[in-house]
Amino acid sequence: MPRFLHSADWQIGKQFGQFEPDEAALLAEERFAVVERLAQLATVQAVDAVLVAGDVFDAQTVADRTLFRLFSAMAGFAGPWLLMPGNHDAALAESVWTRAARLGAIPGNVTVCLAAEPVVLEAATTVVLPAPLTQRNTHADLTDWFDGAETPAGLLRIGLAHGSVTGILAEDIDAPNPIAAGRADSARLDYLALGDWHGTRRIDDRTWYAGTPETDRFRANDSGQALLVEIDRAGEVPRVTPVVTGRYRWSSTSAALAVASDVDALIERLDGLGSADVVQLALSGHCDLAVHRRLTEAIARSRGRTRSLEADLSCLQLAPTPEDLERLAADGYLGDVIEQLGALQQDDDTDRAGTAREALVLLAGLLDARRGGAGADLRKDADAEAR
Amino acid sequence: MKLNRIRVEQLRQFRQPIELRDLAPGLNLFTGPNEAGKSTLVAAIRAAFFERHRSGSVDDLRPWGDSAAAPTVEIGFELGGQPCRLVKTFLARKRCELEIGRDRLDGEEAENRLAELLGYQHAGRGASKAEHWGIPGLLWISQGSAHELHEAVGHATDHLRNALEQSLGEVAASGGDEILDKVRTLRNAVLTESGGKPRGSYKEALDRVATLSEAIRALDERIGRYRERVDGLARLRAAHAADEAEKPWLAFRSQEREAATRLATARGLQTELDGARERRTQAEARIGLLRNQFDAFAREQALAEQRAAALAEAEQACRVAAAPVEAWRSRYEQAVHTRESARRVLKAARQRELHQGLLREAGSCREGLAACRARRERAEAAQQKVTELERRLAASEIAAADLTRLRTQDRALADLRLQQATAATRLVYRLSPGSSLAIGDATITGQGARELIDAATLHLPDLGEIDIVPGGADLPALRARCEDLADAQRALLARLGLTSLDEAEARVIVHQRLAEDLRAAEAELAALAPDGLDRLRVEEARLQARHDEVARALDSLRGDKVASAVADRDRAVVMDSGGAVRRDLAGEVDCAEDVRPGDVRAGASMPTGRAPIDSGGPDPIETGEDGAIETGALEPGVAEAEAAEQAASHSLEQARESLHAAQLAVEKANTVRLAAEREHLAARVSLEAPDRAARVAAIGQALTDTRAEQASLAARVETLTAALADARVDILEQDVVRFRDSAEQLERQHAERREQLMRLEVELQTEGAAGDEEQRAGLVRDHAQAARRADELQRRAAALDLLLRLLDERRQALTRRLQAPLQKHLNRYLQLLFPQASLEIDENLTPGPLTRPAAHGAETGRFEALSFGAREQMGVISRLAYADLLAEAGRPTLIILDDALVHSDAERLAQMKRILFDAATRHQILLFTCHPANWRDLGVAARSLEGSRPG
Repeated sequence: MPRFLHSADWQIGKQFGQFEPDEAALLAEERFAVVERLAQLATVQAVDAVLVAGDVFDAQTVADRTLFRLFSAMAGFAGPWLLMPGNHDAALAESVWTRAARLGAIPGNVTVCLAAEPVVLEAATTVVLPAPLTQRNTHADLTDWFDGAETPAGLLRIGLAHGSVTGILAEDIDAPNPIAAGRADSARLDYLALGDWHGTRRIDDRTWYAGTPETDRFRANDSGQALLVEIDRAGEVPRVTPVVTGRYRWSSTSAALAVASDVDALIERLDGLGSADVVQLALSGHCDLAVHRRLTEAIARSRGRTRSLEADLSCLQLAPTPEDLERLAADGYLGDVIEQLGALQQDDDTDRAGTAREALVLLAGLLDARRGGAGADLRKDADAEAR
Repeated sequence: MKLNRIRVEQLRQFRQPIELRDLAPGLNLFTGPNEAGKSTLVAAIRAAFFERHRSGSVDDLRPWGDSAAAPTVEIGFELGGQPCRLVKTFLARKRCELEIGRDRLDGEEAENRLAELLGYQHAGRGASKAEHWGIPGLLWISQGSAHELHEAVGHATDHLRNALEQSLGEVAASGGDEILDKVRTLRNAVLTESGGKPRGSYKEALDRVATLSEAIRALDERIGRYRERVDGLARLRAAHAADEAEKPWLAFRSQEREAATRLATARGLQTELDGARERRTQAEARIGLLRNQFDAFAREQALAEQRAAALAEAEQACRVAAAPVEAWRSRYEQAVHTRESARRVLKAARQRELHQGLLREAGSCREGLAACRARRERAEAAQQKVTELERRLAASEIAAADLTRLRTQDRALADLRLQQATAATRLVYRLSPGSSLAIGDATITGQGARELIDAATLHLPDLGEIDIVPGGADLPALRARCEDLADAQRALLARLGLTSLDEAEARVIVHQRLAEDLRAAEAELAALAPDGLDRLRVEEARLQARHDEVARALDSLRGDKVASAVADRDRAVVMDSGGAVRRDLAGEVDCAEDVRPGDVRAGASMPTGRAPIDSGGPDPIETGEDGAIETGALEPGVAEAEAAEQAASHSLEQARESLHAAQLAVEKANTVRLAAEREHLAARVSLEAPDRAARVAAIGQALTDTRAEQASLAARVETLTAALADARVDILEQDVVRFRDSAEQLERQHAERREQLMRLEVELQTEGAAGDEEQRAGLVRDHAQAARRADELQRRAAALDLLLRLLDERRQALTRRLQAPLQKHLNRYLQLLFPQASLEIDENLTPGPLTRPAAHGAETGRFEALSFGAREQMGVISRLAYADLLAEAGRPTLIILDDALVHSDAERLAQMKRILFDAATRHQILLFTCHPANWRDLGVAARSLEGSRPG
């Protein structure tokens, strides 16, 4: 019974600018680590081949070191690997693939499908029909040729393609590179392994997007998996099992704070985050200065634990209360200013409102620092600026 | 706060303790001369409060030279209604004790409490400075610093504000200024103070964003180019592969070959055409040659005839030319004869002329010679006469001096004689006739008288003698002188050859006459021989010689007389024929153009036959003894004879030339005729050649044949030309080139593309290795991070800016509210000092401009612009006002004036005393002065520091 591991969209060489430098480096590093995990998985599962449906590399011109690192990361699985160029690493006249070949970086068990030609995997009694991209983008359906491709009887027909299944995927992914819906049927394929969509997705019984094995964006899309495909015999519906391969959990949270319990729940959640979490937090609503302080403290704590926590509090209005003022010993004109800033947050101009909010946070921080109490962050900031 | 006791010990000059007790709650006046310790006391109070007891910077408190001293200040006071006591010891024993009511505090705790209560700070290190002194610094006025208000107020502002805010019941910001300062510092770290431009880390962040953007843009460009070239590589490869498969140049190569074949065919036609044309040209050339030969025969015929005619003509010309030669020859001979005759006539005429000239000269010579000789003879006579006269003249000459002397002597002698006569003895005698007497040697007879001037002896004959001696003494002298003079005269006369003066006079007259004669004779001589007699003689000799010469010439001429006669005969011929010749010549010249040879001959015969005419004139005759030749009246003159001779010569020349010309013409005509004869002969020889007819016939046949050949060749050429025009060789050639070039172009393009491909592959491989896109991803990541940071900083900067602005605004608003009470207190004092004046208070609670009524309305001046005295007064009242404010706020106040107001005049001082007295009702005031008299009316007893010293 042939077994395959279906993966795609490794996006080797991708960088993560939205994160702090140390975090970004670790996230980029993880893309090599996940390939090692895939190799390990393939070995453990004793698959007949690993099929990678495009976008192995994030760009054509990557450093030599990156090339070598990738192929050495694949060393954990000695069986056949079928890599196919996608739109990011299309098989152009001069491409990352030609360079890898020139450098001698590609191991013998790795086949790069640079041309639309059948690849026979004899051990797996399988013929793979690849539809590599030879341009960055194309508006022709590169899988057309599958329909007419003759393969020896008795061998499985597995398609390998990269693009968007027409009429099914939203248009916010790469709209070009169309793949006709129902290609698996029309081309009499036993399985059509697709890439380009970063989340795992089933199109039909025989057509799947594997998704990227290590999540690389916040959009909730069920990524970070590979597909274990088992086909009993030609013509049978394959068994497809998603296997988690990703390390980091990317999550994007937005919350509107209104009452104290909202805050408590949020802080609880923040405190529950772990080292595998990559979190984007956007808060809105309003809170008083004390709550704001708690929140920022919780965020700071959480940052220490998570791989990354980006908190956007710019839409969270601060509503200083008399208790706040007392706590901060903000008497006299300081109190007046705090009140005034609180009111300025209501400004229609979001920039001005944001500035007022920021000013309020700053002032509160300074007052906190003066008391020698909390607000250590702000004081630290303030000291840093004063330097 | 009220002090009630001060005790100072081991402090500067107070080595021994000094204690001031029972200080009044109001005004306290301390007096003492300079050096009495007033300022030391004030310093002690300051040190007690301001200096840390542990401070090492209080050496100035130590008494001079006392290193073991422990300066101690003990102050008892009341604060907030509680009795307090402060004991502070410095240096040797560092101690501080404070009792407030029942509380006891030690050391720093005590010091801090005091500072808090009184509103000042301690120095962090070293001695306390003005900036730490706060409210006490304001109220405790050091010597000479009352006028320095602003600084003191500045140091006290925060304390003042705090104190006053409480008094106002306002909720002021605790440490608001600290926050404000911090915000200001933070804000100015990221924005420039004035313009609000980014600076510091904010600016760095923005710069980094810009730098990264630029780097990304540059990289994008490179990547864009790289991608384009990768696409180009793909296109090149496709094109190359297509070429490789198709090999399009092969088609062109085969087309080229086909075109070349057709071109070769066409070129064969061309060669054939060229051959035909060549042969046609040769035929045409041959025709030309034959025709030439044919023409040559015809020309020979014509030439022969032409030459025969020419010969006839030449012969005719010979005859014509020969005709005038004889006529000209006879005329020439005649002209020769004529000229010979003219020459002879001319010679005779010349001889005659010579003879006559000689005759004339001989006559003139003869006459000249006779004249000359006569003249010479007369001149010689004249010369002789002159000589004679000169001789006589010389003989008769008496020198003028001698004559004068003679005359003088004669007159003197006469005078003497007269004197003698006068003095002499007169002897008058009348002798009987015949008797004689001898007187001396002389004999006298008859009657007479005699004057005796000398003794004389009168011989009386027979009688004897009578000596008569003239009387008078001088007679002898006179006689002597007379004798001397007479001797001299005689001598002179003798020398002159004379006997007497009369003779001399006569000779003078003779001499004069002789001189005149001489002049006349000389004039005659000069007229006769102006150049001298010799010259006359030479002239005479010359004339004689010339005469002889002419005579000889005439003699010789007389021998030529026969020749002369022949010449006379020829003369007529010459005279006559000369004119005729001239006429003929004129006529010949006139009609030379028209005259035929025959006419010339006729004309030339005209002068012939004219007979010479003999002249019947007499022959020259000889006349006179010199034998001169007489010239007849009819003989021609030399000039005429010369003219005739010249005319004859000219005629001869003309005749000879004409003759010569005629002979030349004959020669020429003969030459022409000979040549014509030769040519004619030659022409006839060639015409009469035996094979001539056969050759003419052969040439005619050849000409016909060749013409036929030419016609056929022309037709061939036409045919071939048409065929070639159809073939279009030029286009065929172009086709070959075009196809070949196309093929080469494609081959070259192919090769170039292959090279380009290789080059591009290598380049792209190299560039691909640079990892541009990965690098770009890194840059994009960095850029995003930098942008985020810049954004954060921007928001932070805006927030800080806003915060600072708001805080500033609020604080200023608050300050403005605080100014009012201070103003109130200040005005209270101000009115006492300057009625109707007003003083502004600025936001720092510092007195501002003072406005006073003046002569011309209100007058406003800045505090600093006031006089020293006024500033001092204003300083004091301002401090009093602050004290009032503080007192109202329930804060401790103590006012110390150390020798203040020394610059105030009496009037102002009086006002200030009222003010101080008034203030003392609310505050304790310690006033130190060295002028006790000035403060006597303060209503309190002055304490002398001297008196306060124990012991």
